[in-house]
Amino acid sequence: MMNSMSNVEFLKALMTQSFKLVETDVIDQYQVSFVLKQDDVHQALITLKNAGWIQMSYLSAIDWPDENKIELVYILMNWERPVHIQIRTKVDRNDPVMPSIINIYPGAKYYERECYEFFGVKFPGNPDYEKQLILEVWDDMPPLRKDFDPKAYSDKKFTKREYKEDYLVLSEQNNKKEKREERKTRAESLKGGQKI
Amino acid sequence: MKSTKFTPARKLSKEEVDRKWWEIGDFFRRNSLWMLMYCTGCCAIELPPAMTSAYDMERLGMGPMATPRQADILLISGYLSVKSLRRVIYTYEQMGEPKYVVGLGSCPINGGIYHDSHAVINQLDQYIPVDTYVAGCMPNTESVMNGFVDLMEQIRNKTANGWVKYKENYEWYKKNQKAALGEVIIHDEFHE
Repeated sequence: MMNSMSNVEFLKALMTQSFKLVETDVIDQYQVSFVLKQDDVHQALITLKNAGWIQMSYLSAIDWPDENKIELVYILMNWERPVHIQIRTKVDRNDPVMPSIINIYPGAKYYERECYEFFGVKFPGNPDYEKQLILEVWDDMPPLRKDFDPKAYSDKKFTKREYKEDYLVLSEQNNKKEKREERKTRAESLKGGQKI
Repeated sequence: MKSTKFTPARKLSKEEVDRKWWEIGDFFRRNSLWMLMYCTGCCAIELPPAMTSAYDMERLGMGPMATPRQADILLISGYLSVKSLRRVIYTYEQMGEPKYVVGLGSCPINGGIYHDSHAVINQLDQYIPVDTYVAGCMPNTESVMNGFVDLMEQIRNKTANGWVKYKENYEWYKKNQKAALGEVIIHDEFHE
């Protein structure tokens, strides 16, 4: 037999012997998630890249305003052993800084720029993480943070079409209201099986 | 006795001659409209049935055109993000006159389901003049075709004059564009 260990077991063994994992979550046989400390992330990515996870699929971020943290998710893929790995780490939300990984995965350059634009995470080491990528001439806080209000921004920025209200809400008419009240009191009176 | 000789028409003034030529031009224009399709949004999915044998746009004399400089209609199909609005304004200003704009779907009218998005503009006619709107989310292909027929009728009645309005109210349009976009010039590393 070629694989005496399953892919997930192999991965778990590999990660546990080299790093102090905060949390491990086996989602299914094709997806595993590891939560690491911020300082371990680069070493973990190097280890995994050497072990065959050569493709960096995505760098995502999650905003946790209650914990005052921003969680970064690096998603890796191996074409020999079909497991998607999520490397998760949390950075401070007020001044989010994460050293760049473009020396390990050069393709992460644009993901880091995207992440800076939408979450405001700084990536020192990436020469142009501050350059605009998707949002052009943005003039507000990073828009995918939870406390950004898109409606208020849209109202401020874009003119809205005015409509005059020439319709009638039928359910708000008085006789309808009375009928509704009647029905409600009748339903209340029927509670508990008592009949009037 | 009256002369049987052909009496030449009275001399027309320059305006009248111009108007006649415009009418002739409009006749040919409205029967051979070339569309530049700016397929930004989901309403673009209504175009394949409109163009192919189901509704056959060709029978109205309409066809797709690859470049803005040779197109008559700028077709905005669906929502416009701030980023693509910059490109649309560029495209619109490149087009030769007369030019017409058709907005498909409810998003160019009032924002549609993207009315509260940070990235999508709400009212297209604040930024470029729109001649015909086709409402619906998304509009039926029949209404898309009907929108084109409406546009042809408007050209006939000389009411499709959005491009004239754009020239006359250029400052107003530019002011709106600046207010929404910050700046209209595209700074883009792939063009630098």
